[in-house]
Amino acid sequence: MSALPNSPLVPAGWQTIGPFFPRTFFNEGDNDLTRIAPTAPPTALGETIILHGHVLQEGGGPCVNAVLEAWQADALGHFRHPLDPGHAKADPAFMGWGRAWTDAEGHFEFRTIIPGSFADTSGPRAPHINLGILGSGIMRRLCTTVFFPQHAAANTADPVLAVLPAELRPLLLAQPDGERDGLRVFRFPVLLRGEPHEETPFFLD
Amino acid sequence: MPDALPDLFAPYDEHTQPQVPIQHYAGTYTRNPRRPPFRRPVTRTELTGPLDLSAKLHPGDINLAETNGKPAQGQLIYVTGRILDEDSRPVAGALVEMWQANAAGRYFNPLDQRDAPLDPNFIGNGRCQTDATGRYGFFTIKPGAYPVPNSNKWWRPPHIHFSILGPSSLSRLVTQMYFPGDPLNAVDLLLLSIADREAQQRLISSHIPTQQIEGEWLGFQHNMVVRGRHATPPL
Ligand SMILES: [Fe+3]
Repeated sequence: MSALPNSPLVPAGWQTIGPFFPRTFFNEGDNDLTRIAPTAPPTALGETIILHGHVLQEGGGPCVNAVLEAWQADALGHFRHPLDPGHAKADPAFMGWGRAWTDAEGHFEFRTIIPGSFADTSGPRAPHINLGILGSGIMRRLCTTVFFPQHAAANTADPVLAVLPAELRPLLLAQPDGERDGLRVFRFPVLLRGEPHEETPFFLD
Repeated sequence: MPDALPDLFAPYDEHTQPQVPIQHYAGTYTRNPRRPPFRRPVTRTELTGPLDLSAKLHPGDINLAETNGKPAQGQLIYVTGRILDEDSRPVAGALVEMWQANAAGRYFNPLDQRDAPLDPNFIGNGRCQTDATGRYGFFTIKPGAYPVPNSNKWWRPPHIHFSILGPSSLSRLVTQMYFPGDPLNAVDLLLLSIADREAQQRLISSHIPTQQIEGEWLGFQHNMVVRGRHATPPL
């Protein structure tokens, strides 16, 4: 493990979480991004929404016990992290991270807020939520990003969405899916492996 | 900006990472995309990550070797090491999650239906946060090997699953730690899915000399390097 100065260490090899990632690792509220802790009051900033969907595998069957990790900016587009130049303005009541897992039908659900947009050195980022997906047989984290259809102009300018061929971009748009408890619901279906026109686009981790 | 935060993330060297599919592991055929991943610019979302995660993922379960004061069965071991970035800088405050089988090679998980004994005094899940030097440590027992169902007698070597959440979403790592000298290591299909031999070997822990460990624990040392460098090279 010793290395000469300036001689970089090599990152460890990924391995699958396997079939036995402990359910006890999930606490009540881990999939609720609007609270920084289960007992904390929800953030007052932003529109609270429900983001849900199914994770399916090749053939359309459910991917059970997949772990999904979400990371996003707050309602004004700030991250509470020193690498965000605007971090001092970030919402202290919003962590931006949540973890959900899929049930026997492959269904997952997050409660969160619509993130803000922000100007990045690569271009103007549209409101988006990064999702990392882990599961038995998934040897390396699968990374995708959720965008919102109501921000069509911002989506057109987004430097990450622009990486995809135009015909695949709609696959990363969450779909309006009614209301629940007065909250707008969005559906984001994930197909891990399938025909080119339906397989969820993933980004190099 | 604190010096210890990585702000440069190069793509992984594919030779050091597992390739799919893996024979006898059905999920590697059905759950990995056909289409190669798209290369995206690294923006603020990828560079940043939650620094206060311990409010949600509570650390503290570092002694797995007993439950309610009753000892688990198996060889007592102490597994420790440091989480480092590619510039050899310690990753302080990282959350380290681990889970493993019991001494008989069975997980305390309803999904593990194998006909091997459960140990009521061994759950096998731990979580801690690294100190200022990037160090983690767990007191546990040595996991047993177990056969993979419908696999033509592929036995997983004793291993511990690790999940590391660092200061950036790009420094996320899920891996497994193996034990030195186990003959099953050389034929394990998950280890062999990594092409580079040195990268395979880096997943195998090393013995700590018994004289260096207090108490009756066999010590294993296992450093784990997460991705991330500082754009300004250190002098
Ligand atoms: Fe395992």
